[in-house]
Amino acid sequence: MKIAVDAMGGDHAPEVVIRGVEQARDQWPDLEFILFGDLAKVKPLVQNSTRLTFVQADSQITNEDEPVKAVRTKKDSSMVMAAQAVKQGEAEALFSMGNTGALLATGIFIIGRIKGVERPALMPTLPTTDVTNVVNLLDAGANAESKASYLEQWAIMGSIYARDIRKIAQPRVGLLNNGTEFDKGDSLHQEVYQRLQANTALNFVGNIEAGNLLTNKADVIVTDGFTGNAVLKATEGMASLLMKQIKLALLNSGTRAKLGALMIKPALGQIKTKFSTSANGGAVLLGVNAPVIKTHGGSDEGAVVSTIGQIREMLQQQTIHQMIAFLKANPIK
Amino acid sequence: MTKEEILQKISQLIAGRFEVAPESITASTNIKSDLAADSIDLVEFVLELEDTFGGEIPDDDAEKLETVGDAVDYVFAHQTK
Repeated sequence: MKIAVDAMGGDHAPEVVIRGVEQARDQWPDLEFILFGDLAKVKPLVQNSTRLTFVQADSQITNEDEPVKAVRTKKDSSMVMAAQAVKQGEAEALFSMGNTGALLATGIFIIGRIKGVERPALMPTLPTTDVTNVVNLLDAGANAESKASYLEQWAIMGSIYARDIRKIAQPRVGLLNNGTEFDKGDSLHQEVYQRLQANTALNFVGNIEAGNLLTNKADVIVTDGFTGNAVLKATEGMASLLMKQIKLALLNSGTRAKLGALMIKPALGQIKTKFSTSANGGAVLLGVNAPVIKTHGGSDEGAVVSTIGQIREMLQQQTIHQMIAFLKANPIK
Repeated sequence: MTKEEILQKISQLIAGRFEVAPESITASTNIKSDLAADSIDLVEFVLELEDTFGGEIPDDDAEKLETVGDAVDYVFAHQTK
């Protein structure tokens, strides 16, 4: 299995990318990598080039670049070249820590949409209150506007992913809405509810309110991209705020609290790990013809390794092929 | 290629992409309003034109392609293969 890697994407690239790729290479002997980037910067960081191939990319897409324009004009960038390698069949999947919008555009415009998927969706994996379970949310922001058919297609793809990768025989699929009753929400969400309920391939468990996003009420939660992005950002913001407030309270409440902080430090560390991207892998761009996965730009090499593990699992299970086959046999309009 | 040949080829591209009958497409077909194309559809269409006919279509030129006839004229004037 060969993975194309955008070595220049991310806040700490290429160092973190190279360290993560080498760890993943050592962990999984069945993986090979093609690294695209500024080789003058990349190669000195490499400890061992076994199963690594290097390709010079003369530019890179930055976070300041306008996504679609960058993909169309920076054809010699590490991200676009890595995507071209997947399109040409030289690699089977794409990994990047770079500009999210550009990666979405790269996935859609270069690797291409699965036939029958009108719009791909971005799907992160989030922790839940049940320590043994996680939840997949899609669309987390690939689409500013959504149609009912998109959400039904995303529900199917999310369900196939949860079945193949998370080994859940009948994944519970929920619809993020502003109430649990069937008639809640605007006309889009009411129509989606009817569609999901009528689709016999889904184990639809009904509407989920945002307060229950992370309470293990569903394995996959579908939402329009606008709402999904807002909810995800609010959740991340709240998690960050809580951690900061706890830290401040412990540091500003005298010696006894500081001693207490010392004692609970390992437990707080566990919470931080649970919310970190390292633990849960990357966000998948579902609906394109190959696994395209993005890890948060500020992540460490642990996130790179877990995301590459996620890609490996998708390739082994042929998850994308399963989606292509299902949507071909059961088109959703 | 003649304009007629280009129109025929573009009609096939559009028919496959937008799931419409090729014979329903004419030079006056408006890509946005008649085919309900959004911004992603338009970029994909422009990329497909580049892949099929060669060359690159700058964004400024791509924005001017409103009808199928506009696309035919552009490809005809910038033929590279």
